[in-house]
Amino acid sequence: MDRKMSVMIVDDEAIVRESLFHWFKKYGHVVETAASGFEALEKLETYPFQLLFVDIKMPGMDGIELLEKIKSDYPDTIVIIITAYGSIESAVKAMRIGAADYLLKPFKPDQLSLVMERISVQERLLSQYNYLKGHLDKITHFDNIIGQSPAMEKVFSLIPEVAQSDASILLFGETGTGKELVAKAIHAESRRSHLPFIAINCGAMPESLLESELFGHQKGVFTGATRARKGFLEVVSGGTLFLDEIGEISPKMQINLLRVLEEKKITSIGSREPVEIDFRLISATRRDLKKEVTEGIFREDFFYRINVIMIEIPPLRKRKEDIPLLAEHFLKKYCQETTKYVDHVTRDAMELLRHYDWPGNVRELENAIERAVVLSKSRTLGVEDLSFIRPPDMQFSKTLSLREMEKAYIQRILEENNWNVTQSAKILGINRVTLHKMMKRYRLERP
Amino acid sequence: MTSKKISVGVLPLGDIPEFDLQVIVDHIIGCFKLTAQILPRFEPPGNALDERRLQYNAGIIIETMEATQFGNHDKVIGVLDKDLFIPIFTHVFGEARQGGKCGLVSLYRLAKNPDGSIPPESSINERVAKVALHELGHLLDLLHCERKKCLMHFSGGIDELDEMSLDLCEYCSIYLQDKLR
Repeated sequence: MDRKMSVMIVDDEAIVRESLFHWFKKYGHVVETAASGFEALEKLETYPFQLLFVDIKMPGMDGIELLEKIKSDYPDTIVIIITAYGSIESAVKAMRIGAADYLLKPFKPDQLSLVMERISVQERLLSQYNYLKGHLDKITHFDNIIGQSPAMEKVFSLIPEVAQSDASILLFGETGTGKELVAKAIHAESRRSHLPFIAINCGAMPESLLESELFGHQKGVFTGATRARKGFLEVVSGGTLFLDEIGEISPKMQINLLRVLEEKKITSIGSREPVEIDFRLISATRRDLKKEVTEGIFREDFFYRINVIMIEIPPLRKRKEDIPLLAEHFLKKYCQETTKYVDHVTRDAMELLRHYDWPGNVRELENAIERAVVLSKSRTLGVEDLSFIRPPDMQFSKTLSLREMEKAYIQRILEENNWNVTQSAKILGINRVTLHKMMKRYRLERP
Repeated sequence: MTSKKISVGVLPLGDIPEFDLQVIVDHIIGCFKLTAQILPRFEPPGNALDERRLQYNAGIIIETMEATQFGNHDKVIGVLDKDLFIPIFTHVFGEARQGGKCGLVSLYRLAKNPDGSIPPESSINERVAKVALHELGHLLDLLHCERKKCLMHFSGGIDELDEMSLDLCEYCSIYLQDKLR
């Protein structure tokens, strides 16, 4: 038994608690005792015990009732039932509910030793399984897009269909809805999946830098160009190029890209030699480009070139039935990353999550869960852990236009974060450059 | 294994053969390099006998020993020829609390093989020494070790006891040196 575990002994007989306490101490395990089921549940609230030895016969809450509660609230906790010869039937019942094993007392010392050996092996295998599963989840595609709402089911059904062609795709959805994840899923399902997937946020860089990043440059064409560099349009070579925030690019860049899409050739900055290229384009925007086309803000020819197929990704407020699933997914993710044990979100807290409108969408929900997990001091996420989320009825007292609401919300987040742009951008689910642009647009300044 | 001079008293609980006590003393001196001596006879407390199980409760004996002053010894190993138990187990060969002052060795189950045959005297002596040193190890804060040959490996039966050696594995050995520094 190499691994040190956290063990709790639950028995109303002090002498049994004491005997087992000292026995486990000799193995260096973290050991705690509880004289009743209620005390055990209280202690489980504050510390993630891995293994519980539970006596079946206890006054108040008996071992079976305690086992049921543990399996419901902390399903990963291992429970071994301790029972006397007269209560074998209860032991069998306990095994059916989910006890890992049972011991008839008094037991031979080596019986307990063998049980612990077996538990240790199981724990090691489970830990390996969780590590490998987490690793696999990261490299597979669909697993990362969570949803069971009809709106998301529609997106899921479109992904494999559109993946088979080379047609340009425009993903339309608000910030934080998971457009890049959908783009990655399309790439992973396509014949180009073994080739690069390159994502560029067009809104995050100035035009000159974006041009250089996409088209590449020759040595010495501008200050700082100390050597020639290939652009991403060339580097992507057969793969998928994902241009996020495509609505932010300038009319000049729209013309350049339009030419690339039509001719399948690029000429790097400072060069006269065109290079043939092959890639599949997926673009994304949160702006109504069709409207901008009619207003003359966005080029019509470029719009139709990038918008052969449009996939609309619904905002989280329109698929609230997905919130519990997403919340549990992020809870598991951040428990693994922070090695904290937070098992579930309470019913009240889940209601709060479901009633909030999530203007920052899935990314905002993910940030909220991450923040709550990091700051949580118990094994459940309650309303108090999510106090930074305001229910919708507390947010605005009068009817606002979308722009007014966006401005007010950005202002609120900035104020709450002492005008720290990096922190606020993270909560809003946008990058710093975009936030600076929005602050400028709405004339938001630190007082 | 150099050490600060911890002294160990070996306490006969009842009428225990001198030879068994001397075996324990010699092994404490030889294996752990501590000082050790045999103490005057001490009667096990009457309330330690569980009349239903006809066994002696190790916890009660240890508590009585810890409440008694046995010279200036840092640690005391009690030796008795009665069958020992702790409430949750059917029996134990010995008992000691982690980092405690007093431990116990029972000779009762060491003089027979699992098949009921009688082992040679030398095997019995070795078993007695192993249990005594193992319990002393706990008093010196050594934990159970997963290496089967190590003296600090937990042995629930005679077979396992015979399989383990009188020596500490390299890790437990370093840990003990550290504890005694």
